[in-house]
Amino acid sequence: MAEGRSTEAREERRNTERRRTRAQQKNNSIDIPLLIVMAGLMIFGLLMIFSTSAYNAGEDQASFLRTQLLAEVLGTVAIFLVVIMPYSFLKFLGNNKVRWIILGFAIFMLLLLKTPLGITAKGATRWIRLGPLRVQPAEIAKVAVIIFFASYISEKPEWINTLKGYFHMMGVAGVLGVLVYGVSKNLSSAIIVMGIATLMMFLATKDWKFQMIGYPALVFLAGSALIKYVQNHPDPESLSFRYQRILIWLDPAKYVTGNGYQTLQALYAIGSGGITGKGIGKGIQKLGTIPEVHNDMIFSVICEELGLVGAVVVLILFAILLYRCLLIAFSAKDSYGMLLCMGVFLHIALQVVLNILVVTNTMPNTGVSLPFISYGGSSVSFLMAEMGLVLRVARENEV
Amino acid sequence: MQLQQNIMKKAVLVSFCVLLLFVFLVYRVVTIMRDNGEQYKKQVLAQQQYDSVTIPYQRGAILDRNGTMLAYSERVYNVILDCHVLTNDNSDGKSTEPTIQAVSKCLGLNASDLRLYIQDNPEARYHILTKNLSYDAMENYLNYVAEYNANITEQNKTLEEKLPKINDKAIWFEDQFRRTYPGGTLACHAIGFTTKDGQGQYGLEEYYNDELSGRNGREYGYLTAENALERTVIPAENGHTLVTTIDSYIQRVCEEKIREYNLEHAGEWRENEMGSDNTGVIIMDIHTGEILAMASYPYFDLNDPWDMSMYSEGEVERMIERADGDAEKASQGLWKNFCISQSYEPGSVCKTFTVAMALDMGVIHDGDRFTCHGYLKFGEGERTTTIRCHQRYGDGDIDVKTAVEKSCNVALMLIGQKVGKESFLKYQRNFNFGLRTNVDLAGEMRTSSLVFNERTMGVTELMTSTFGQGFNVTMIQTIAAYASLVNGGYYYQPHMVKQILDDNGAVVENIEPKMLRQVVSEHVSDLMIDYCIGVVDEGTGTRARPAGYRIGGKTGTAERSGQGKRDYTVSFMGFAPADDPQIAIYVVIDRPNTGSQEHGTRYACLLCRDILTEVLPYMHIFMTEQLSPAEEKELEERGQQSTLSENSVSENSVSENSVSENSVSENESEDNIPVVEITIDPSSGMAIDPINHEPLDPETGAPLNEESSIFQDENGNAIDIPQAYDPGAETDDPRE
Repeated sequence: MAEGRSTEAREERRNTERRRTRAQQKNNSIDIPLLIVMAGLMIFGLLMIFSTSAYNAGEDQASFLRTQLLAEVLGTVAIFLVVIMPYSFLKFLGNNKVRWIILGFAIFMLLLLKTPLGITAKGATRWIRLGPLRVQPAEIAKVAVIIFFASYISEKPEWINTLKGYFHMMGVAGVLGVLVYGVSKNLSSAIIVMGIATLMMFLATKDWKFQMIGYPALVFLAGSALIKYVQNHPDPESLSFRYQRILIWLDPAKYVTGNGYQTLQALYAIGSGGITGKGIGKGIQKLGTIPEVHNDMIFSVICEELGLVGAVVVLILFAILLYRCLLIAFSAKDSYGMLLCMGVFLHIALQVVLNILVVTNTMPNTGVSLPFISYGGSSVSFLMAEMGLVLRVARENEV
Repeated sequence: MQLQQNIMKKAVLVSFCVLLLFVFLVYRVVTIMRDNGEQYKKQVLAQQQYDSVTIPYQRGAILDRNGTMLAYSERVYNVILDCHVLTNDNSDGKSTEPTIQAVSKCLGLNASDLRLYIQDNPEARYHILTKNLSYDAMENYLNYVAEYNANITEQNKTLEEKLPKINDKAIWFEDQFRRTYPGGTLACHAIGFTTKDGQGQYGLEEYYNDELSGRNGREYGYLTAENALERTVIPAENGHTLVTTIDSYIQRVCEEKIREYNLEHAGEWRENEMGSDNTGVIIMDIHTGEILAMASYPYFDLNDPWDMSMYSEGEVERMIERADGDAEKASQGLWKNFCISQSYEPGSVCKTFTVAMALDMGVIHDGDRFTCHGYLKFGEGERTTTIRCHQRYGDGDIDVKTAVEKSCNVALMLIGQKVGKESFLKYQRNFNFGLRTNVDLAGEMRTSSLVFNERTMGVTELMTSTFGQGFNVTMIQTIAAYASLVNGGYYYQPHMVKQILDDNGAVVENIEPKMLRQVVSEHVSDLMIDYCIGVVDEGTGTRARPAGYRIGGKTGTAERSGQGKRDYTVSFMGFAPADDPQIAIYVVIDRPNTGSQEHGTRYACLLCRDILTEVLPYMHIFMTEQLSPAEEKELEERGQQSTLSENSVSENSVSENSVSENSVSENESEDNIPVVEITIDPSSGMAIDPINHEPLDPETGAPLNEESSIFQDENGNAIDIPQAYDPGAETDDPRE
């Protein structure tokens, strides 16, 4: 403990210095670059949503735009509420009982999907009605897993290194993931929940090689097995749509008239964009050709209309966002704040990477949205709430 | 703090991995653009629909001479259901039910069928629910939806659980044009109808198809030089409107009278047949060639050409039987315009032409006398032929006018001998027999093979031709020629359309009357008018005179060759009014369903009288004759008033008329002295035919035997009438 105290004192000093220099640079307690980048992504997102949805929206061309804008206003309120609350409340959320309550709430919301409150659209029940709002419980689960893991890990840093502790934690994440997949039939959200949990555990545990070799190997083996399975299946037509998507991924042109249509049309959009694109608003593929173009496939239209330049700019914006999250995490005054920030970091990074991997047909279609840009009220408001957490941690660092 | 350091170390690694992944993503985008860019660009362009929407043109209307709509194209709507929009709206499928209810309520569709369809095809984007919806019905639906939704919005303000609205985007309307004929059966043969794809069939619709058709507009996309998709609209060009020469009122009167006649005599002689095989009436303006009415029976409904429900079951059966058992062909048979598309032997109405040509040539003169012994023998040796007069005793010593009035075959044959073959044929061509009149209607028959020419006409043929047997004509040919006889000798091409308008009502073309040639001199025309008035005043056509009017005309009874001796084509061809001819009317009853020929001729006259009684007052032609009490009563029954103007008819003119009538009748009685002695059969008290000894009516001299014919030898055996066209060899349709 003596050793620990001396390091702690050193750390404390370093932090104080950093805080002082920061305070000299800015009088504001809010991390402005993070806000600017986030706002930039959202404004860009609104532009693209209008561009892609105006054609499909019917008479009221801005209907999608308005819905998204409303969600972002709600998200702004969420950021504000999170940022002004005392740090102790943030700590309170990580309290042993409260974190279980949060986890329980997330599960409760997921189970609400099975009640008449659930809204079914496009063959899946993914939303519940809360007064005038439609909420996607899968998004709540993502926030819950970040808070739960951050508090639990920071409280029991040694225990999680034991086999029992590790599997205890992964068990909790597993239950949540299975529920997300089982109840809302949302594989992508389940993957993200599990991904956040696994990677947060990787960050916090001392082990390097088992996880660094084990997980990639596991993913590789499971993937190969799945591919082998669907390829050698005697009757591919009878497979469920998830397996079909693997077949489509392997050869999208073969399924152009059926389920491969969306993937292939997105590829056409990307390919036809060129270096600078056709100009914003001038894309053709969004005109009814790509299904759900304002949603999961919005990146393809960014490529079509703004070309490689647009795609790179979007990725650079995300990189800056993530870099700011990383910086705030590193300057967090405690491991809880740091893990919160890293959780959000991982959430955003996972969604960006998975979304673009899907759009470019580098992996099978799962339906992940692009953070801050894709159309989707729940996604954007909860992401903004998460950004609020990061901003709150950053504020604590400076005061 | 160990934990934090641990996290930071690993976070750096994770961040590095994320950065690598980002670079990899950019690489992926680059490879897609590089490797497949050109191919995908083409693919994207190839997928675009460049000519997506056709904007239908509006087919031009057809109006009568007073602007009444006879045919127009009405905008109607197809109701399209977009299941995709309905099942994927943000109401979570709850809007489906109210939408189905609205559709079934306003558009009268079965709700459960709709529900099933939507269930089975949740992604169907184009399902036609119903076609040809009127504008009112569509508006009714739209209003209902708007009201319902406004109501729900109001209710939802206070309700916790929001009520679903009707999805107004799931049902949309596609517009189209439907051809509508407000008159239904009115002028059906003259107008014709259109197929579903907008092609005119029969009549004006077919003849003027190019004028009536417009050009479809189009909304389409194209690529600019920068490969941007632009959409542009070329508006539709609507078709032209026809102003016809038809007068709806006159047309309607003709059709009604024809129908009355045919219904009255349906099944009278031959069971399960209409009052006649065909009945046709044409009324024409003699000074312009404009056709005021062209009606025929049987008729059909332009709005539903296949419908045969207006005929009795027996009649329909008979029609199908005649069409070789083909119901479709039977229906198509109704569409044929008898007035222009069927030929027949005209009979005695043609005597006017024979007399007119003889007068015009100067081979006979007004007042020349001929003697009729009841028959005429011509030819020598074995080729001797005898043709008889209707009046078996013979008409005696008669002048030209009386020959026409009494329709004397013998006198006409004598005149024909004076005219000679060449001149007869020349005049016949001048009268346009054997040629098309080129009336502006589709389907006019070619009759060039149905008249004689220099090669085919022998003595017998010339003889029968003088009284209208042996060659075939169409109604339109005959009335056009007749009009020239009574208008001063000018032959006008008959026509149906006088003006073509564009869709704004501006005149595109005025169709002026077309005078082709002068066929006879004005002097001859005056004489013919006088003779024809004589026919109605005291000859064979007295029954055709409408009460209060004086008209001229000529009756006709032709034996239908090759169909047994019982069949006739009876007709009356006349003009009105007598003092200043304006219109010509031609009534033909083909195979009247009545027992005797004599009756048939009477019906043609009566039909003409019925029609003129209503048409002449309508045309502001005033009565000139005093009405007998019986006629006054008749007019009263018809609900008509005398148009006899006290000023227009002076006492003098009436008395003049009566004087002239008297003098004519005096002449007649003189002429009527038979030169052939009448043999009275002592046993029956009947007159006996001097040639074949058939019993005759002692008053009229007409044969009592229904089987009797003017083409008989002494033994009562039928003589074949030489035909220009052999009806037995009906292999080629003479209609091209």
